[in-house]
Amino acid sequence: MFNRVGIDVGGTYTDAVYFHNGRIQHTAKVPTQSDNLVETLMNAFDTLKISDEQEINQITVSTTLVTNAILQNRIPPVKLLLFSGNGMKIDALPWPVTYTELTGEMDFRGREIEAPDQKEWEKLQLQRDNISHAAIVGKFSHRNRLHEEQLAAYLKQHNPSLTLALGHEWGQANFYRRSLTTYLNLGVSDLYHQFAQQLQTAVSARNIQAPIYILKADGGSLPLAKIRPIDSIYSGPAASVLSALTQTSSDASSIIVDIGGTTTDIGLTLSGAPLISSKGAQIGDFSTLVRSLAVRSIPVGGDSVVRTKDQGFIIEEYRLGPACCLGGDRPTPTDAMRYLKLIDYGDEQLAEEGLASLLPPEQRTPQLLHDLAAEIIDRVVDRIAEAVDSLKREWKEEPAYKVWEVLHPHENKEFNTIVSGGGARGVTTALGKRLKTTVQLGAFSEVSNALGAALARPTFDCTLHLDTYMKQYRVEETGEQGKWTGSLRPHREVEGFLETLVQQQVAHYGIEIQDMEKEPFDFFPIVQNYQTVGQIISGAVHLRPGVIGRVQE
Amino acid sequence: MKRTGILFFPAFDWSLGDSHPEREERLLYTQEQLFEEGILDLPQIKQFSPRVATMKDVLRTQALFPNPGAHTESLDPHLISAGSSLLLGEAQVNGEIDNGFVMARPPGHHSGATVWGNRGFCSLNNEAILVNYLRARFGKKRIAIVDTDVHHGDGTQDIFYHDPNVLFISLHQDGRTLYPGSGFVNEKGGPNAWDQTLNIPLPPGTGDEGYHYILENWVLPRLQAFAPEIIINSAGQDNHFTDPLASMNLTARGYGRITELLRPDLAVLEGGYSIEGALPYVNLAILLALAGEDYHHVREPQKLKRTTLTLAALKPYIQDLQKQQQTVKQSFTIQNKPYFPKGNWISIPHSVYYDTEGFQETRHDYVRECSNCAGTVYIESRRYTEKSILVRIPFEACPICEQAGYDLWDHLQKPNEGFANGMLQNQLHDKQYLWNRKEGLMEF
Ligand SMILES: [Zn+2]
Ligand SMILES: [Zn+2]
Repeated sequence: MFNRVGIDVGGTYTDAVYFHNGRIQHTAKVPTQSDNLVETLMNAFDTLKISDEQEINQITVSTTLVTNAILQNRIPPVKLLLFSGNGMKIDALPWPVTYTELTGEMDFRGREIEAPDQKEWEKLQLQRDNISHAAIVGKFSHRNRLHEEQLAAYLKQHNPSLTLALGHEWGQANFYRRSLTTYLNLGVSDLYHQFAQQLQTAVSARNIQAPIYILKADGGSLPLAKIRPIDSIYSGPAASVLSALTQTSSDASSIIVDIGGTTTDIGLTLSGAPLISSKGAQIGDFSTLVRSLAVRSIPVGGDSVVRTKDQGFIIEEYRLGPACCLGGDRPTPTDAMRYLKLIDYGDEQLAEEGLASLLPPEQRTPQLLHDLAAEIIDRVVDRIAEAVDSLKREWKEEPAYKVWEVLHPHENKEFNTIVSGGGARGVTTALGKRLKTTVQLGAFSEVSNALGAALARPTFDCTLHLDTYMKQYRVEETGEQGKWTGSLRPHREVEGFLETLVQQQVAHYGIEIQDMEKEPFDFFPIVQNYQTVGQIISGAVHLRPGVIGRVQE
Repeated sequence: MKRTGILFFPAFDWSLGDSHPEREERLLYTQEQLFEEGILDLPQIKQFSPRVATMKDVLRTQALFPNPGAHTESLDPHLISAGSSLLLGEAQVNGEIDNGFVMARPPGHHSGATVWGNRGFCSLNNEAILVNYLRARFGKKRIAIVDTDVHHGDGTQDIFYHDPNVLFISLHQDGRTLYPGSGFVNEKGGPNAWDQTLNIPLPPGTGDEGYHYILENWVLPRLQAFAPEIIINSAGQDNHFTDPLASMNLTARGYGRITELLRPDLAVLEGGYSIEGALPYVNLAILLALAGEDYHHVREPQKLKRTTLTLAALKPYIQDLQKQQQTVKQSFTIQNKPYFPKGNWISIPHSVYYDTEGFQETRHDYVRECSNCAGTVYIESRRYTEKSILVRIPFEACPICEQAGYDLWDHLQKPNEGFANGMLQNQLHDKQYLWNRKEGLMEF
């Protein structure tokens, strides 16, 4: 049985869970001291009362550090150099950062259309402008990285201290997102490495030798040293989906609702596998290629202010202190729950007074107060249900590019709902009625992110793109590009080739994998003058996000 | 900026043959180009996922002979392509999008009123099925189709030849130099829909400038006069100078400008077989033009090497063609069969060659001359010894034509008449019936 620690470093609190022999031994919640993370982490370890540090197999950490740095605009400037080529005008899309466009173009097969112009490079003057970080990204560089590497070599030669990032390492299509992802990943790297060091310091100080893993946006964990910093964004919502997974049977389809103070996160699992977003993650103004779980965050929660409007009320997106029943002075959904006795914390009298303030004096009867409270809860539940519908649409309306896919659409599933967070108990009945599912309260919901992190498995994806005519192969996830020396129309050969790539990467990450899912290969014959001259082949293996065990309360 | 819908269905698992132009690879590089540009991240672009058209949707517009069951094995990709057009058309009519681009395989514009198989890579006519869907389901009355594929849109012409409420305009490389060999200026529509078909055959070597000149000086005024509620563009891309099947000289930017001039509510991909040299760029330019974005930076890597007809050389040709077109007068032959209901029935015999499978369909079309409606249509169609009948009661049929349709339909099924099967396309009431002497009647 496993012995694991899960830690969630949030902006206000750091939560931790300690699993001993597969069972939760202790949980911890300590305030996050943003100026002293080492101490915060040591506090968390101490609260967990770990009996034998040497027995711990793994520590997995989820953190909002990178997410918050980006959202609060706390990343140092990065010079963004683009080989943008022809095509759509680059400013048709909204760029949250400035960039410099350079001559040089590739096409979709990775053939050079136009060579770069060195004279432009000479005018760049990065040193004069005190630039220490630069990201170089070319359109179609995921097919051919040549121009990126040429410019990188040139810049390094003239400025050896420069830290560079190249776009082709993000090997999926989408020049715009590749550019912004490369930019962000480089921008947060110093911050992330500092965090990694603090983490390592705290762990060593507590005599723990277990490897440290970081939770990613896609709900998978990877060793601290192997993860790309930007992949650690949104690990909070991912952890809460994983936490729900630990509380259902392994093939259940669930709607996961986590009700916070002012936001509610909603996720979906389908036959035990979390729904992955078909596009990359959006963070602030940045569209990225970061693989993430499909999660909706809606701006409504237990502490959202309820205000009178016209003849009725609205639920605002913000909070102004705690609920009335907990000593605040603005009515909130929490007060509605308290008034209806759906929750047992807070002062009932204060809840009633808060709700009454939303009604004209002559209407403050028990019946009307009751109706108002029920309507507030229904309104919250409606918002949640809309988000659930939107997630289900994302799942059902996935674009299909093959006849087979259109003829075999997703079958309907029987869902259950798991709700956690402060107001969970207060919406259970209403939510069940509205979603027409059974509703289950999440266990350990005060430390659910830490719990999800503790039991996270690694995720792994390896997508091969092979052009036998151009004799080139590429791997989407790592950006690896190499020469293909096999046959023009390979068959079995390509399976072995992918297998080798997978083994190499698994060894590189130092992870163990089971339950690999193979996607069937797609073969596109390349025809010239009615002759087949080669093939474009794509295929992939995946290890989907999941958990290594389940919890019993 | 326009809210533009895109339905991208490249049918990556379907081809008409290993090295056939209509193969898996056809939209592969278009996908690479569109995705790499980040086109789906444009705030005004909305992607839709495909849907399958129903048999009713098809039969409203096309008769599948000898019966739909004979086609079902090969029809799936075509039904998805047609269904995709319906889906995006519906989104446009509902106001969910301002315009849209159905970038789907397989194409459809060579598929006509009667279908015995695949011809010119087409089995079902995506645009025609859409047009009649919008009329039947959304009460649309006047629709224009402008076909900018390099080949004559003979299937679409066939379907709407007698329909005064659908304006069909086809610009194409002259039929004397290219498949399918039709689309001359004298093909102007049937007796009840005279001048609602406009064919503009162009000489090989026509380029951007010439094409735009014709659009501005001939096509747009004609469109404006017709005042359609909806404009559909059959957006074939084989006018591109790199196309292996044709000899025209348009560029990707030229296609962008075509889109900008026509301002279609819906563009539907047709042909285009320069899958590396043209399609990624032409598709991008069309989509950008639809979305109201600048398409002038879209540039295909190859340079135009063929010589292009100058506008000075093209102008006299066009003026001459326009004159010819205007002077063509109606000359129709009345041929009433003994069992035809009262009225003048115009006979139009023709034959259709199915190049994919290599056989001939022989048709005798009859339309009831009518000044009150599009006129009931009666088609006898033969393939080898098999014979099938289509009776069409048109949208907004007058009572006399409607009755004529029922009388013909009844006659067909009489015990001693020697017909084996047929179809009643009752567009007036949106009902389709199949009849087979052995199996009887089936309603859709
Ligand atoms: Zn064509
Ligand atoms: Zn009539």
